[in-house]
Amino acid sequence: MGANTKQLRNRIKSVSSTLQLTKAMGLVASSKIRRANEAMTKGRQYADAVCQAMTMLTASSECQKSPYLQARDGDRVRLVVIAGDRGLAGGYNANIFRLLAALPKAEYIPIGKRACERFGKPIVSSEDFSAADARSLSKTLCEDFANGDYDRLGIVCTDYQSMLTQTAVVKWVLPFERPDDAPDLAGIVFEPDEQTILPVAVLEYVSGLLTAAVRESFASEVAARRMAMDSAGKNATQMIDELTLEYNRARQGAITQEITEIVAGSGE
Amino acid sequence: MKEFTFLLSSPDGELFRGEVTMISLRGTEGSLAIMAGHIPFLTAVVPCDCTITLENGTEKVAELDGGLLTVSGTEATLLSSGVKWKE
Repeated sequence: MGANTKQLRNRIKSVSSTLQLTKAMGLVASSKIRRANEAMTKGRQYADAVCQAMTMLTASSECQKSPYLQARDGDRVRLVVIAGDRGLAGGYNANIFRLLAALPKAEYIPIGKRACERFGKPIVSSEDFSAADARSLSKTLCEDFANGDYDRLGIVCTDYQSMLTQTAVVKWVLPFERPDDAPDLAGIVFEPDEQTILPVAVLEYVSGLLTAAVRESFASEVAARRMAMDSAGKNATQMIDELTLEYNRARQGAITQEITEIVAGSGE
Repeated sequence: MKEFTFLLSSPDGELFRGEVTMISLRGTEGSLAIMAGHIPFLTAVVPCDCTITLENGTEKVAELDGGLLTVSGTEATLLSSGVKWKE
């Protein structure tokens, strides 16, 4: 058998090991999907509840004057960038960085190994990011915002629409924008008054949104990886099939040639 | 004693949802307790221990690192991103 068949055999072997790898990564991702989705739903529920409380609170005209609600003229933006801990998740990380490139320059606070490496910051895992981590980060962010260290806070994260679709989005968090269609809730007693409650509410709001965004991004990452590994696995299987066909053809060709040579040799 | 629904929520899910007779915790102005029939109410909670009294009289205590307490109608909701059950 010639060098050609040997080469083909080696390629089949290497594609098979890639197939095994993609299968394993796909399985790991699928096993994480359910837990990630549950965490995402819980995070979303909490974020919705905090948003509702914020809307109630900001209905008063007193709160409108607070620094947390006033739009500012400056352009010092802070962006919390949430990317994955690992690659091989289709366009998941790339989409985040592409969106970042389209946004104006800002001070970045990365979460997730990939983002941290990109900005040369200490590594913060997005998978193990706890509510307590979110709270301590939010505390600094809220204090700095109240002190006027920056003018706008956004979270760059991935919006989980379905198993198949995830989109990179930027969510503007501070200053708080009250939805126009918010119902007017008269008759609620604020103890002691709106302005005292607001800083506490803003902290809960920022940390709630941050945790929800990290959970949602992680669910998106896992889903994106699952899909990417699925299609990579399919491609590898197809490639193996094609290579096996080619290999068999080459092998058969070599045998036929050998037989022809033997027959030709004995005929003399 | 009359009961009302209490929900203790954190970003990692609901820690508690059920019928209670009283919850007591510390607001910015001092200690306060909520019982059934309270007026619609919103307050900031400072770091404290939150005691939940269940229908059967047993008490559960959660450690809070601040939060937001809303009372509306027959339901009270405590939102806190820094909350855990006290051992």
